Amino acid sequence: MDNYSVIGKRIKSRDSVAKVTGKAVFAGDMKLKGMLYGKVLRSEVAHARILGIDISKAMELKGVKAVVTCEDTPLIKYSIHPLMADKLAFEDKKVRYIGDEIAAVAAVDEATAAKALSLIKVDLEELEGVFDPVEAMKEDVSRIHDHLDSNISKHFKMDCGDIEQGFADSDYIIEKTFTTHAQSHSSIETHACIADCDSDSRFTLWANTQAPHPLKQRISQALAIKPEKIRVIPPYIGGGFGSKIDLDTTHVACVLLSKKTGRPVKIINTREEQFAATRMRHPSICELKFGFKNDGTIVAKQAKAILDNGAYNSHGPSVMGYHNVMFSTLYTVPNISYEGTLVYTNKNYGGACRGYGDPQATFAQETMMDMIADKLDMDPIELRLKNANHPDEKTANAVEITSCGLIETLEAVKKASNWTQKKKAKKKYRGLGVASMTYTGGGSRGSGFNYSGATMKMDPLGTIFLNTGATDIGQGSNTILPMIAAEILGMEPEHIRLVTSDTDTTLPCMGTFGSRVTLCAGNAVSQAAFNLKKKIVARAAKILGEPVERLEIKARSVCVAKEPDKEISFSQIAAVSYSQKQEVLTGAGYYDGPEVAKDFDPKSYYAYPGPAMSFATHLAEVEVDPENGRVDLINFYAAHDSGKVINPLLAEGQIEGGAVMGFGWALTEEFKFDNGRILNPNFHDYKLFSIKDIPDITPILVETCDPNGPFGAKGLGECAMVSTAPAILNAIYDAVGVRICDLPATSEKVFNLIKSK
Amino acid sequence: MIKKYPVRVNVNGDDYEVLVDPRTTLLQFLRENLDLTGTKEGCDEGDCGACSVILNNKVVSSCLILAVEVDNAVIETIEGVKKGAELHPVQQAFVDSGAVQCGFCTPGMVITTKAMLEEMPNPSTQEVKEYLAGNLCRCTGYVKILDAVEYAKENLRNG
Repeated sequence: MDNYSVIGKRIKSRDSVAKVTGKAVFAGDMKLKGMLYGKVLRSEVAHARILGIDISKAMELKGVKAVVTCEDTPLIKYSIHPLMADKLAFEDKKVRYIGDEIAAVAAVDEATAAKALSLIKVDLEELEGVFDPVEAMKEDVSRIHDHLDSNISKHFKMDCGDIEQGFADSDYIIEKTFTTHAQSHSSIETHACIADCDSDSRFTLWANTQAPHPLKQRISQALAIKPEKIRVIPPYIGGGFGSKIDLDTTHVACVLLSKKTGRPVKIINTREEQFAATRMRHPSICELKFGFKNDGTIVAKQAKAILDNGAYNSHGPSVMGYHNVMFSTLYTVPNISYEGTLVYTNKNYGGACRGYGDPQATFAQETMMDMIADKLDMDPIELRLKNANHPDEKTANAVEITSCGLIETLEAVKKASNWTQKKKAKKKYRGLGVASMTYTGGGSRGSGFNYSGATMKMDPLGTIFLNTGATDIGQGSNTILPMIAAEILGMEPEHIRLVTSDTDTTLPCMGTFGSRVTLCAGNAVSQAAFNLKKKIVARAAKILGEPVERLEIKARSVCVAKEPDKEISFSQIAAVSYSQKQEVLTGAGYYDGPEVAKDFDPKSYYAYPGPAMSFATHLAEVEVDPENGRVDLINFYAAHDSGKVINPLLAEGQIEGGAVMGFGWALTEEFKFDNGRILNPNFHDYKLFSIKDIPDITPILVETCDPNGPFGAKGLGECAMVSTAPAILNAIYDAVGVRICDLPATSEKVFNLIKSK
Repeated sequence: MIKKYPVRVNVNGDDYEVLVDPRTTLLQFLRENLDLTGTKEGCDEGDCGACSVILNNKVVSSCLILAVEVDNAVIETIEGVKKGAELHPVQQAFVDSGAVQCGFCTPGMVITTKAMLEEMPNPSTQEVKEYLAGNLCRCTGYVKILDAVEYAKENLRNG
């Protein structure tokens, strides 16, 4: 048993009191003196050449203070990958999807700004749109980006072992194609920001970003502004799920409009804009071929995957890489072949979205695993146990697994669900399905960096401060990180003052994504806390005249072991340290791991440089109504190996929320496109799960201890929805014998498949 | 210049008389005219429940009501739920149950839960699910929100 006083405790979210009282200020809630309201003009057509933009009528409208277009920008393209940059804040020559940004307006109120947009005259020459990724790969179709000689953004192959020999050695081979659809992040808060530029062209941007430090850097690059002129402050953030990582045109627009008018400018996306013109999960097509033995051993697996990029790259190139890594890393398979193609289409474009390519890969692989179990008449859990990864394994694609609780997650859901008994006494139209997954437990250096910084100080009054660049978007880092510091400093986390995310007052952190904050920022905080502790204890040792080895920290005092009378409080140590010795008590920490292996391939992500891998198994119990195809979720079990769990209350919340986001992707959330236009950009027709729709959900924390994580912890947030959809679809197969290989499993689809059986 | 109309309301126990543009929704009125930004805008079309407030003892989506319609009404927003320094039992239950993640849907959830428990002190789980079905949350998966409602029920019952 671990002997921790803070780690592993169900400590309530630090921000929750501010949030339940309405006091928490989000970006959209802010109002600065003299503030103007901005709006963005977006393309109404999917593909067109821009012949001219006339803003004169809009400028004449009373109340309009400024209009900006591409002419106000240095025309520097950006994306997550500088070498694959393809997006301008305001397009100059072409628009490439319905929603593409053309101009922005600042006015005295929103109604005037909206009216001004209608007065901007954009002269367009409409071009043929390409909406299907397979179609878009053909030679004779319309070209979306003129600087490329095809609509293919990225293509790579990866071969490990000998795939042909693997197939030759197999007793069976199954081939199947799987498709997955787009998903909206649907954070309840839309994108919002305010820029305030002073006379020296310095500005502050309050934005609901998941990655304030990189945002500062990207604004600096896209607008050719020196970084020292920029300060980014995220207020409370109403969820992100990957949608709030990128530099967005609303950021650029606010900065430019504030610079032009000398007044603060606020832009808030409407829900429709949020659906139509912020990122989504990449749709995918994945052809799989698996070779396996009579006993269930997978000998060879091959994937040919196409991701529908939409109009621009955003995170697409690395989502494609992650699709490969997560597909190839799950299960110990010696022969792997993967071919990935990322294709532009004239649609809203994909970005980072909870799971980052992994849900698409895992849906295909885990449905295939179920088909294999079915073919061999083998228990699906036994099949997975047979091929499961193990601790300290190096996979065929050269991923170094440190801790691994995959087997334990399989056993945990089997037990919790009463699998064996329920399988034996199967009820009509009821079914059980299982699916496993792996994902990074701490970001990676795939893009070159994986940094997080933290500083701690004790001020002259003995108050402890933690400043960290990490950003809480609801996942709980504002609670977790002080817990890590508090454990090390022998104090209660609520006594630590916390400053986060502000780019002026915190060390850089790459941001909240990739399930990286607990591990990366946690390691930085842990280092900072140890460094501060060292200084506190050294000062106390001098004051008490005792060797450091005999001292320990308890309740904000340093005391001598077994001598309760000999102690000195933090405030006394601070007073002596600052006023008598002029010694500043600070500690800093910076994490940017792991080392990148020499054979790392930045295209395919072979030898993926992640610090740890997290694992999980989901198990769904469903009941299908054969009369209408309706799928009712009855029970859901989700066992996760996230290393040592810092705060089980918050970890459970991640698992439950992830599962329900997965339910939506599996069953109800579906974009309807018509020639690139999203027909259902609202919560009425794009169906999130409501509280009414959820089954009993049982989160299970299977603890391991990872050598690379703080106190053994690994990440969880992105993992939480990855294997949900295949677990449900495998359960539908178990219930009614229909195998759905294209998401989502709508009632209509299930009904038609039952009828055509 | 569009003609403005007087609106007299009592919000969280305080009386206000404000001239408003007739196009202003109750949500905009609360947020922009009264600076009560605890009530959130998630969709502005009545689908998400983030803008829920209690209007004359009934929960409503404030984005679907015009400010001029609420003349002489009594309104409670999230800012009025806490009494003095103490959290209301519903707020305390949300905090203690881990029912708050990003917090954007939270004011609407808390207000709706409070109204529900005032209408029916002992709802069944199915009744709770029906009552809260109009409040979307993307973070929590609703599990801990259901826990919070149970906890709040008990807290209120025990006084």
